[in-house]
Amino acid sequence: MTGLLIILAAFFLPLFPASLVFNRLAAGIDHPMARLALFVIWPQIGVALLVWGDVAPAGPVLATWATLSALFYAFRMLTVREVGRWAAMLASSAWPLVWLFAMQAPSEVALVAFTLAMTAAPVLMLLVRDALARRLEAAYTGLHGGLARDLPRLSGVIVVATLAAMALPLFPGFFALLAVLSGATLSVAIGVLLVWLLWSWAGARLLQATVFGPRSGPIAADLPLSTTWMVAGLIVVIVAAGLLWTGGAV
Amino acid sequence: MIELQWLIPLLPFLAALMVHLLSARLGKRVARLSVGINWLVVIIATFQLVSYIAGDSGPEWMGLASGWGSLQLDPLSAIMALVVSGISLVVHIYSIRYMIEEPGYGRFFMLLDLMTGSILLMVMAGDLITLLIAWHLIGVILYFLLAHNTEPPTAQRYAFWTFITYRLGDLPLVLAAVILFQTYGALDFPTLFERIAAMPDARMVMDLPVTGTVAFLVALSAFAKSAQFPLHTWLPYTMEGPTPVSALMHAGIVNAGGIIINRFAPVFVHSGEILHLLFIVGLVTALIGSVLMLTQNDIKKSLGYSTMGQMGFMIMETGAGAFALAIFHLIAHGLFKGTMFLGAGNVIGSARKHDGVPNDPLYEFLVERKSAPARLPWLIIGAVTLIVPLIILVMAHAWVAEDFFQKQGAIVLLFFGWITGVQVLFATHRLDTENPLRMMALIILSFALIVVGYSFVGHTFENFLYPDAAFRTALYTAAGIDAVTFDMLVVLLALIVVFGWMGAYLTKVRRQRVDEGHSNARLTLYSLFSREFYVADVYDRMTASLLDLSKRLNVWFKWS
Repeated sequence: MTGLLIILAAFFLPLFPASLVFNRLAAGIDHPMARLALFVIWPQIGVALLVWGDVAPAGPVLATWATLSALFYAFRMLTVREVGRWAAMLASSAWPLVWLFAMQAPSEVALVAFTLAMTAAPVLMLLVRDALARRLEAAYTGLHGGLARDLPRLSGVIVVATLAAMALPLFPGFFALLAVLSGATLSVAIGVLLVWLLWSWAGARLLQATVFGPRSGPIAADLPLSTTWMVAGLIVVIVAAGLLWTGGAV
Repeated sequence: MIELQWLIPLLPFLAALMVHLLSARLGKRVARLSVGINWLVVIIATFQLVSYIAGDSGPEWMGLASGWGSLQLDPLSAIMALVVSGISLVVHIYSIRYMIEEPGYGRFFMLLDLMTGSILLMVMAGDLITLLIAWHLIGVILYFLLAHNTEPPTAQRYAFWTFITYRLGDLPLVLAAVILFQTYGALDFPTLFERIAAMPDARMVMDLPVTGTVAFLVALSAFAKSAQFPLHTWLPYTMEGPTPVSALMHAGIVNAGGIIINRFAPVFVHSGEILHLLFIVGLVTALIGSVLMLTQNDIKKSLGYSTMGQMGFMIMETGAGAFALAIFHLIAHGLFKGTMFLGAGNVIGSARKHDGVPNDPLYEFLVERKSAPARLPWLIIGAVTLIVPLIILVMAHAWVAEDFFQKQGAIVLLFFGWITGVQVLFATHRLDTENPLRMMALIILSFALIVVGYSFVGHTFENFLYPDAAFRTALYTAAGIDAVTFDMLVVLLALIVVFGWMGAYLTKVRRQRVDEGHSNARLTLYSLFSREFYVADVYDRMTASLLDLSKRLNVWFKWS
């Protein structure tokens, strides 16, 4: 029973190759709200399976599998140009780390909060994807670069969302990664740090190909001020929640 | 007093927020707000340093919560807070006019304030997580500062290089923090260093020594932040960013490596092998940086490589056990290099109009390499140049510390000081002047003043930074090697230097024949120097291969 639950959970807290299902599903959904719902609910189903089934994931094989899955998707993020797929791969790289955290036998609340912390950045990237697609017809990096010049507000949102995707301080991903690392073995810790490095590399490449560089592409309207404030508010809430959740300690 | 310490990093962050919110309303005047707050930071930092020196309470620590979010007030944080805030203030004032015509004026000052706050947080952090937060932020904010002009592809390219190198440097420090936390169960530095002192021989997985492993990881982090070979490629190429950023980077940010090594001195004191590694990496970096500096024809790039060489020397000093000297060096270098960068734009500007160089004997001697016919007997000059600097150096050091001969690190630095002194005297003895004896006497007097001043200030500074004499000795002891090997290395190094001088002399005297005899070797060296040892090319090739592999994987798995 436990083995079956773990296999089932591997689809929702995606471990390769079960992760292919989530990525196909994410790519197939066109409606923005449906895609957002998928990103928020999908990993929580995996957490629910672990919690309700009282599964305590353990063992070096599962830890290695989760770390390699995270590495695999982080590495592939480097060359993904469609921002929606990029967000899905970020999620596929971040959610396997939930397994590593679950191995430290945290409380149910902590496990749910950790998963949400790992979901925040992909969700923000989905918002970026929709904002880009609405203005530039497609959310492909490298297609319309140099947005900082004409669309400063949208560029600001892209920058902040990407910083969250890189799990930089003070975003929840930073503290979540520290929480995983504090209980990890040396080999797993090195793997997680490599994932972190790849996220940074992929994020910087995304910024280079959207925000920075010479302006190219059609003329588009910037993000309205009210929307910018709303997104800023959302980001403040995410950061504050992350800070509160860590409670001042690892 | 520690409560005031919080204001030092918080005020620049507050300034950044205010600049961002008010820049639309205040326009260019927003810079004055930023400068005003930075003045306040400098005043508080000065007050804190003076109070610390005048008071007798010793280091203090204060945390916001039980886990992380703490600051400390100790000699290192007090002196570095003043240096960082001082340099940042100068850069702020310089930028008011320099950046006036650039787009994103408010954004620039916001980033400058964020950077100042992050560096101040780094030097004053009282626990591992606060240090990690500041350490990460420095790299990120530097990326945006370097990419301030968002359009030129070259600026973006080199900002990206810097960012990735800094990220490479961030992660070893994270691992070091994790190992320390897992082993000693503490986040705050006072408790952590107490436990390390009580249990320095702790072991981790594969029976690795905890202190040695942590020291190695901290060293890796320092190498990336302080542009040590082969992680140096970002530094000379980041000149596309605004000049004030170059000044701040070369005067402050790049020194982070030396600061972090000093912060973890209680770990390095138990890790002799890693100190040797620091010495070797620093030495190689100093040599390569200096050689590449000499081969550049662009003033800013040349300054970049000069910084690399100086950073190498700074790391080398820590490797020799002279931790305080490294801090003294980075402060002196920061002030000097910051001035040069802020002046570089003016020099370039005036040189475009007229060279402005007086055609005097000094110019002919230094630039046109025209020396006067020998007026002093070369044998006497040779003896004077070899002996006088040595006497001055030994006497100056003996004056400040009688036991310095027992410290190998001090002897190494003395040796380098001696070579520098000899170079200066011997290089200048043929300068065209009416009274060569007077000139030589003045040069020796200047040298003596510099050495005595440096020794005295350096010694006082060391006593301030590391008041515990036993700890200072322990650092030098940890950096030492066995006496026979040390003596052999000193002799070997002296021989290399002497042969180098002879080679330089022969090249000058028999230029034609030497050129012919070594043409292939010279060409190889020339191509190595001009391609900067191909390090950046290797990284480019590796990057391209990895991206290609990533693309292939995505195609195979149909982007899912």
